[in-house]
Amino acid sequence: MKILKRFFGSFLKVIALGGYLIFALIPLYWVMVTSFKGPKELYTFPIAFLPKSLNFENYEFLFTFANFGIYFRNSLLVSLGASFGALIVSVLSGYGLSRISSKKLSNGILIGMYLTQMIPGFLLMLPLYLMLSKFSMINNLFVLGIIYIDIVIAFGTIMSKGFFDRIPVSLEEAALIDGCGTLEVLYRIVLPVSLPAIMAIFSFFFVNIWNELFLAVMFLSSNDKMTVPAALNSFISKAGISWGVMSAGLVVALLPTIAVFAFAQKYIIAGLTEGAVKE
Amino acid sequence: MKRNLKLFIMVLPTIAILILFTYIPIVQEIQIAFENYNLYNLSNIYFNGFDNFIAIFTNIDFNFVQIVLNTVLWVVISLIFQFTLGFGLALLLKKPFKGRGIYSGLVFYPWAVSGFAIGLVWAWIFNGQFGLINGILMRLGIINQGIGFLSDPHIALMSVIIVNIWYGIPFFAIMLLAALQSVPEELYEAAKMDGAGRVKRLFNVTVPYIRPTIASTILLRTMWILNFPDIIYAMTDGGPANSTNTLANYMIIKMYSFYNYGQAAAIGFIIMSVLLIFATIYLSALSRLEKGI
Amino acid sequence: MKKVILMVLVFTLLAGIVAFSETITLNFMQVLTSPQRTAWWEQVIKDFETLNPNIKINLISPPYEQADNKLTTTLMGKQPLDIIEVRDYTIKQLVDNGWLTNLTPYIATWSASKTLIPLAWQAAKTVNDTPYMIPQSFFVKALFVRTDVLSKYGIDPNDLKTWQDVLNACQKLYNPSKNQFGWDNRGKNSPFIFPDTLATSFVDNANPNNLYMLPNGQTIFTSSQYKAGWELYIKLFKTSPQDSINWGFDSQVNSFVSGITPILMQDPDTVGLLNTMLDKDQYTVVPLPVGPTGRAYPNYGFNGLGIVSYSQNKQAAWKFIEYASSPEVNAWFNKNYGPLPISSVTYQNDPYFSTGVYSAWAYMMAHPEEYVFSNYPFNSSKWPGWTSIQQADMQSLLLGNVSLDTVLAKWNNYWK
Repeated sequence: MKILKRFFGSFLKVIALGGYLIFALIPLYWVMVTSFKGPKELYTFPIAFLPKSLNFENYEFLFTFANFGIYFRNSLLVSLGASFGALIVSVLSGYGLSRISSKKLSNGILIGMYLTQMIPGFLLMLPLYLMLSKFSMINNLFVLGIIYIDIVIAFGTIMSKGFFDRIPVSLEEAALIDGCGTLEVLYRIVLPVSLPAIMAIFSFFFVNIWNELFLAVMFLSSNDKMTVPAALNSFISKAGISWGVMSAGLVVALLPTIAVFAFAQKYIIAGLTEGAVKE
Repeated sequence: MKRNLKLFIMVLPTIAILILFTYIPIVQEIQIAFENYNLYNLSNIYFNGFDNFIAIFTNIDFNFVQIVLNTVLWVVISLIFQFTLGFGLALLLKKPFKGRGIYSGLVFYPWAVSGFAIGLVWAWIFNGQFGLINGILMRLGIINQGIGFLSDPHIALMSVIIVNIWYGIPFFAIMLLAALQSVPEELYEAAKMDGAGRVKRLFNVTVPYIRPTIASTILLRTMWILNFPDIIYAMTDGGPANSTNTLANYMIIKMYSFYNYGQAAAIGFIIMSVLLIFATIYLSALSRLEKGI
Repeated sequence: MKKVILMVLVFTLLAGIVAFSETITLNFMQVLTSPQRTAWWEQVIKDFETLNPNIKINLISPPYEQADNKLTTTLMGKQPLDIIEVRDYTIKQLVDNGWLTNLTPYIATWSASKTLIPLAWQAAKTVNDTPYMIPQSFFVKALFVRTDVLSKYGIDPNDLKTWQDVLNACQKLYNPSKNQFGWDNRGKNSPFIFPDTLATSFVDNANPNNLYMLPNGQTIFTSSQYKAGWELYIKLFKTSPQDSINWGFDSQVNSFVSGITPILMQDPDTVGLLNTMLDKDQYTVVPLPVGPTGRAYPNYGFNGLGIVSYSQNKQAAWKFIEYASSPEVNAWFNKNYGPLPISSVTYQNDPYFSTGVYSAWAYMMAHPEEYVFSNYPFNSSKWPGWTSIQQADMQSLLLGNVSLDTVLAKWNNYWK
C-alpha cells in the first residue's frame, strides 16, 4: 500500500513538474522557432509550428549588421560589475541592520528601504537625468552601473537582512569572544552559512540589471555603449517589429541569465549541513 | 558600542546611494505632481495645487474607477497565483532528483527575460488571429475561430494577468526555496515523531519558520506588481477601451502620449500613497500575528 | 637653449596647424531608428565626411519607441546636440520649447532650395509659417492590395476607386469560416488616421489646413457627411477580424502578409518591408480611394532635419543638412527607406518613384484636384493625448459599447 502511495505521489510530482515546465517554456519555444525562420515564414496563416529548416540568417544579421557582440560585452560588464557592487553593499547593510542592537534604528532604516520600493521607477527617470546631466554624467557606463546598484540595493538589503536574522547570533558569539572583528565574523562564519540566500540575491540582481531597458536608453547615447535590451528594442522601428532578428537577439540575451541561474541554483538548492548550534 | 558603530557604518553606503539616487529625485518628482509640468511647453511650469489630481480623478477618457478596479484585480490575482504556484514549485524542488539542476534552470527562466520584450512575445502568442495559442487550439479542433485574448475587453485583463503570473512564479519559487533550505531538519524529525503528516508538517513547521521570508517577499512583490507597467504596456497599452489600464500603465500613457509629467507624477503620488497605506496595514497586521505566537 | 626654442617653435607650429584644421564634431540624433535606417544614415554621413574632412558627425540612434522621449530629455538637459530629426508630431513641441533654429537665413543662400516640391515648404513652415526644419521624407497613405488573393475572388485592384468600392470588395471577401476577411483594421497607436482619412473624404467643405475644423467654424464632427463616412468605416470594420481592435502596425502587416486581410491602407515605407516577405507579384499599390465627393484629403506625414538652437556649430550643421537634402542624396536615401522624396528633380528624372508600386503615389501627386493634401491640427495645444483619447473611444465604438452619435458629440466637445 505504501509503495503504491509513493508511486502515486511521484507520479503526481512528475505531472506537476511537467506542467510548470511547459507553462514556462511556451514563449521560449516560440521565440526559438521564430529565430530560425526566414522572413517569408514569419507571418503565415495557419502559423508554422516549426521552421522549414534551420535558417541562421537572423543570427548572422545579429552579429554582423546589428553589432550585437559589442552590446553583449557592454551588458556583461555593467551587469556583472553592478551586481557584484550591489551584492557587497547589500550584504554589508543587511548584516549591519540585522545585528545592530537598536531595533528601533534598524527598523526605521528598513522602513526607509521599503519606501523606495513603493516608488514607480519610471517617475525617477526624468529628475535623475536632469540631475546627472548637470554633472555631465550622461552616456557613461560606470554611472549607469551606479544607478543600477541604487535600483537593487534596497531589495538586496531587505532580503539579506531577513536571511541573516534567521542565523542565530550564538553562531557568532564564540568567534566574537575570541576577538574576531565584525567583518571577519561576517566573512568567515555568516556568509558560508547563508550562501543560498547570497546566490539567490545575486542572481536576481544580475537578471534585473541585465534586462533593464528604459534607463539604459535614457542614459546612453553612443552606439558603442549600448546594452543588450536597448539593442533588442532597436529592432522595433516605425516599420514594426523585426521579429526574426529580435527573436534571435532574445535567445542570445537569455544565455547569460540562464548561465547565472544555473550556476546560482547549485548553491540555492544545495542544502546545508544545518545544526551547527542547537537552538 | 564599538561594534554597533561598525555595524552602522556598514549600512551607510546603502543609505548614501539611496538618498542620492532615489530620495532626492523623488522629492523633486513629488513637487512636479503639484505643478503644471508639460513637456510641450517647458517655459510654462507653475504650481497648480491639486489640479493634476482632480484632472486624474475626473478624466472622462480614462475612467479612474475602472483603472483602480483593474489595478486591484491585477495585483491581487497575480499575487495569489504567483505565490501559491511559486511555493508549490519550491516544495517540489526541495528534494533532490535527477536533472533537478537543468530543470530549475529552465523553469526559472521567465524571470530572466525583460518584461517589456516578453510582453511583446506573449502579445503575439495571444494574438487573436496569428497567435500560437489560437493556432494550437485550432489544430486540436477545440475552436475554429480565434479567441480574442487581448481584444475582448472581458478577457483581456485575465490574459495579461496570466502572463504576469508566468513572469512572477520564479521569484517566489527561488526565494522560498532558499528559505526552505534553511529549515533545520531536526524540526521535521521532531514533528514526524509527533505523528504529524505531510500537510501538518508543512503548516506547523515549514510555514512558521520561513514566515519572515514569506512576509517580506509578498510585501515586496505587491509593490513591484503595482509599479510594473511593462507587460501591460507591451501587450495592450491599457486597451481595449481601458479594460486593461492600471495605475502604472496610466502613468506611462500620461508621460509618453500626453507628455504631461505633472499628471504622471500625480498618479505616481497616488500609487505611492496607496502602497504606503497598504504597507502600514500589512506590517501592523503582521506584527500582531507575530505577537500572537 | 637653442634646442628648447626649437622645440617650442615646432610645438607652436603644430598647434597652429591643428587649430587651423580643427575638426568640428557634430552630434546628430535620429528618431525613426531602425537597424537598416541607421546604416543608410551612416552611409550618408560617411560620404559627407569624405567631402568635408574637417567635420565629423556622431550619429545617436535611440530605439524608435523611446526616441522622442530621449530627444526631449537630451534637449532639456542641454546635452551636446547639433542636428536633430524632427517629426510632424514633434515639431510644435520643439519650436515652443525654443530648441530649433530658424533656418530662413540658411535657406536664402541655398541653391537647391528652389527644387523642393511645394509640399516640402508647407511641411517646413508648419509652425508659425517659419521654416524650422528641412523635410527629408514624406509619408502618404495609399491602398496596398494582395493581387493574388483578390484575383481568387475576381476583384480587380484598379476597380477600387471609391471607398464604397472598397467596402463592396471587402464584403465579397468576407468569409470568416474560411478565415478570409477583407479590411485590415488598425486598432491602436494612432488609429484615428484610418477612419479619418475615409470619413473626411465624404465631406464637401473639408478644410485642408485643419481637417477637424470646417470653414464655417464648426468642428467636422458635427457634419452629417462625416458621420456617413464613419458609418461606412464601421461596416468596413465588420469585414475585419474582431481581434483587429487591438492591432498595431505589426499585426496589420502580419495580417496582410498572411493573406487574411488583403486590403491595407499604409505608408510608402511599408513597401521595403513587404518586399522581404512577399513576392513582387503578390501585391500592388493603388491610389487612395476617394469619397462620394470625388476627392480624398490625405495628410502628409513627414520628418526632416533641424538645427538645435544651442548648437555651437550651426554653420557646419547646415552644411550637412544641405548635403542630405540635395536631390541625389535624398533620392538615394528614400529609395532605400521607402517614403517619398522632396525634390521635384527626383520626381521628374527618376523613374523609380513613378513606376511599379510607386505609380500610385505619383498619380496622387499629379492629381491635386482629386487628392488635396491636408493637415490635422498637430500644432494645437489640444493635440497631445488626442490620439490616446480617440483610440479609447474608437475601440469602445467598434466594440458596440457606445453609439456613434455619443462619440461624435464627445469629439465635437473636445475640439470646438
